[in-house]
Amino acid sequence: MIIEYWTLVSLNTEDCLRQEIPLAKDFFLASFTDTTNINELSDIAIQRRLFEIYHNCSSQDKLLAQRCLLCFISCQIEKSCLKLARDFGSFHGFTHRDLLPYVLNDDGTFPPLIEHHCFAREILESFDVDKSSLTTWTTRKVRQHNQLNQFLLQCGLYLISDWAILNDTNTKQLQDILGGFHLLSKFEIQQAQTLLEAYHKVYRAERFRRRLQKQSAGKCETPSQSQLREITEVLVTKGIYSISIKAALNKLQNLATKLREYRIHARSGKFRTDSLDEKLENNFTFIEQFTVSNPKNVLDSTDEAEDFLENYRSQILICLDNALNTVIKARFEYLNKKNADKASKYLIALTLFHCQRLSMGIIAQQLGLRAQDAVTRLLKLGNLRADVRQQMMITLKESVINLAQQYSSISDLETLEMRITSAIDEQINKIISDSEIEAVNIQNNLAPSLFSESLCRQFQNKE
Amino acid sequence: MQNLLTIEFERLPTESITLDSLDINQAVELSNSIPDEDRTWETYINALGLFTFKSWIEERDSHLQVNWKKSTIAKPSLANVIPTVTNLEVGNFKVALITIGSLFDEQIPLSRLAVESPECIPHFYILVEVLEEHERGIVRGFITYPQLIENLAKQTILKPDWTYRIPLTWFDPELNRVLLYLRALEPQAITLPAITDESKQLLAAMESQITQLLPSLAVPSRKIWEVLSWEQGSVILNSPELLELIYKLQTSSVNVQGAPSVVSLRDTIKIITQPAINLGRWLWNEIDEVGQALSWTLLPQLAPLRTALRSPEEEFGTIVTQLQAKGIEISPLARCGYNNFLLAGLPLRVYAAAWNLPNDNHSWSLLLILGSAAPNTLPHNLKLRVSDQTQILVEQAIDSEQPEAFLYTRVVGDWDEKFIASVSIADDVEVTLPPFAFDIRQA
Repeated sequence: MIIEYWTLVSLNTEDCLRQEIPLAKDFFLASFTDTTNINELSDIAIQRRLFEIYHNCSSQDKLLAQRCLLCFISCQIEKSCLKLARDFGSFHGFTHRDLLPYVLNDDGTFPPLIEHHCFAREILESFDVDKSSLTTWTTRKVRQHNQLNQFLLQCGLYLISDWAILNDTNTKQLQDILGGFHLLSKFEIQQAQTLLEAYHKVYRAERFRRRLQKQSAGKCETPSQSQLREITEVLVTKGIYSISIKAALNKLQNLATKLREYRIHARSGKFRTDSLDEKLENNFTFIEQFTVSNPKNVLDSTDEAEDFLENYRSQILICLDNALNTVIKARFEYLNKKNADKASKYLIALTLFHCQRLSMGIIAQQLGLRAQDAVTRLLKLGNLRADVRQQMMITLKESVINLAQQYSSISDLETLEMRITSAIDEQINKIISDSEIEAVNIQNNLAPSLFSESLCRQFQNKE
Repeated sequence: MQNLLTIEFERLPTESITLDSLDINQAVELSNSIPDEDRTWETYINALGLFTFKSWIEERDSHLQVNWKKSTIAKPSLANVIPTVTNLEVGNFKVALITIGSLFDEQIPLSRLAVESPECIPHFYILVEVLEEHERGIVRGFITYPQLIENLAKQTILKPDWTYRIPLTWFDPELNRVLLYLRALEPQAITLPAITDESKQLLAAMESQITQLLPSLAVPSRKIWEVLSWEQGSVILNSPELLELIYKLQTSSVNVQGAPSVVSLRDTIKIITQPAINLGRWLWNEIDEVGQALSWTLLPQLAPLRTALRSPEEEFGTIVTQLQAKGIEISPLARCGYNNFLLAGLPLRVYAAAWNLPNDNHSWSLLLILGSAAPNTLPHNLKLRVSDQTQILVEQAIDSEQPEAFLYTRVVGDWDEKFIASVSIADDVEVTLPPFAFDIRQA
């Protein structure tokens, strides 16, 4: 879309502003008069031409070419933020409007004021037209933007920086990954190892020193010019000469990209799977999830489960009450030590969820929490469930002597837990799946479960 | 590329733990004394893993205590050579932590020690991910010892650096299960290999090899597996004193004192590896097994001199009188034994007298007297050297101007300190006596 080369996206107090810059438009169209159909020209070709002018021409043309490129960058920045908001925003509670102020600060003045710091210009100045496309580069720079990252981390999203990956990789792993995963040659691997060692010696050592001096280390920033210079100096002592500071930075980033690809690959297996809570939020049904994660959760016969429940019914009911009391109290106290406000919100959220059967989203609104994700982190329902179950087992161990021997082997203990689980799970699952339904469509006419009944009774007693 | 942007941002799991500045400072402290920068960082990440695990347990169960003071990360000499945090105590269980950093490897290194050495084998191995940059950690999964062994029997990935590579897929991500075990399981449900006592003998047998090999560890970046075989390593890793020595060697290049001399190193290794003769038993009128095996003879308690021939008892009495005349104090409660031995065909006799120093907190005194077993003066080039575990304390030589009938020296140490004495007449002609220890508890 060639229109992006003369459309500046900027922010005013209310919203995004799209502003056509006629000077840029005239210049752009004039620069491509030799092309029959400019719309068929690739961005790469356009950018090469603009950069040629930007680098080689006299002041007025130079600045105009720069203006076109800056417009294009502003459009890419907006797209990046829209994409982030589309993928994560609703769950983590932000919109692209929350993100843009961090990265969109080009005021569009022409000629641009030198003293006005502008992120788009930073992107432009660090860009190498031979190595990358401006779209990719902009995306990358937005992704790495420090304050933006801080904001997203508060929302529960994180990005591992290139520099953190390099810090945590040792030369042995590098050999395995570059050789086994990326199939690089022995020589390339050796070069990369030497580079990594030099990086560790300078950058990582400095980070550790900052930690040692109790200075905040924060997110890993791009190595400074002096750090890069030091790295090239270390490389010289190891027989690698004639690497410029810029080349060293490039090589380090390329190496990090390779390691990141490996990381994504390694995580794509078992450990990409998120917690029960997150599955729950993603509208998996809880019952389905439970069966998958606990394949042994099938008893030999339902009769057995019923016998068990029949034999210990009274104890189980007492234990459930006690366990709920103990576990909720423990979590309240744990939270209270850290933050009293959070602790009281915990109790309210728990009542709202279990007794009033409100959805996480509504609870977030009522409690003034940022988003659904914050309620999840506060409630940690998966943990609550397991903790209650296990607390019950501890109490049962003390009160039912017949069961004692079942605590002396892993498989017996697991069977016992399963029996208890199935005795109360049906009930617990019911309320959880009810709540899932409620989250979409409130149905209060379902019979309350044993679990929530017990829980709500406790709250009533407290009042 | 837009796509990559959103792959790269990751959702912080609900269970993630925020590490506070106290945790981070403590992790830095635990790792700062590790001699090599790579291992310092590794230890730092391991320590962050430890505090992640500790906070996780605290959040889930206020009754479970994590005690890491006896774990391998609590002592720099252990953390320096063992890349996995093990011997962590949680309630009645032992736990090892396998920590991974931002790279997130598919195959995670696990120290062979935590798999094969009974002293270090835990009930559970817990996988912890650390995001140093974001000051967060996430407990990711676990595997029990029996399950690990079962898996290893099918597929062993043992690397020359004394680590197993454990596939991520072996870990059970259902952490509530390990919590259940920690909370409710009886410890005997998981049988761990018994700790045997043979390591002392093995250690004694490999003294000369160790003496040869250890000096090459005096480079901070040198790794223990590059120098020693696993058989040697597995024995050494269970000897806190030798690990302390290795640690000292590796940090000595940055120390003021510099590296210990070869002789001192040899004495240290001997004192650690060789079985000691316990002079404390003498106070109970007994000679321990080591003393018996080396034919030490115990003299009666110090008594006024009787006239007779030059028996060891009388000779000792004479010497004691001479020493007392020189102002050397010997407690009347001292017990003395002696041992005859040959040095390059020369018959020699050593007297060892030991006594408790009741006014000095838990210390003891050792008096060594070296004389000739035959009625001769000592050769003029004879030397007596006494070391403790860290250094040479005294070196005595015969004064060629004033040849004497005996050499003597007195040293004082805490009850748990040992001394080792060597007698030499040339550089390579030397006899080392067994280490002397002093434990007065009745057997």
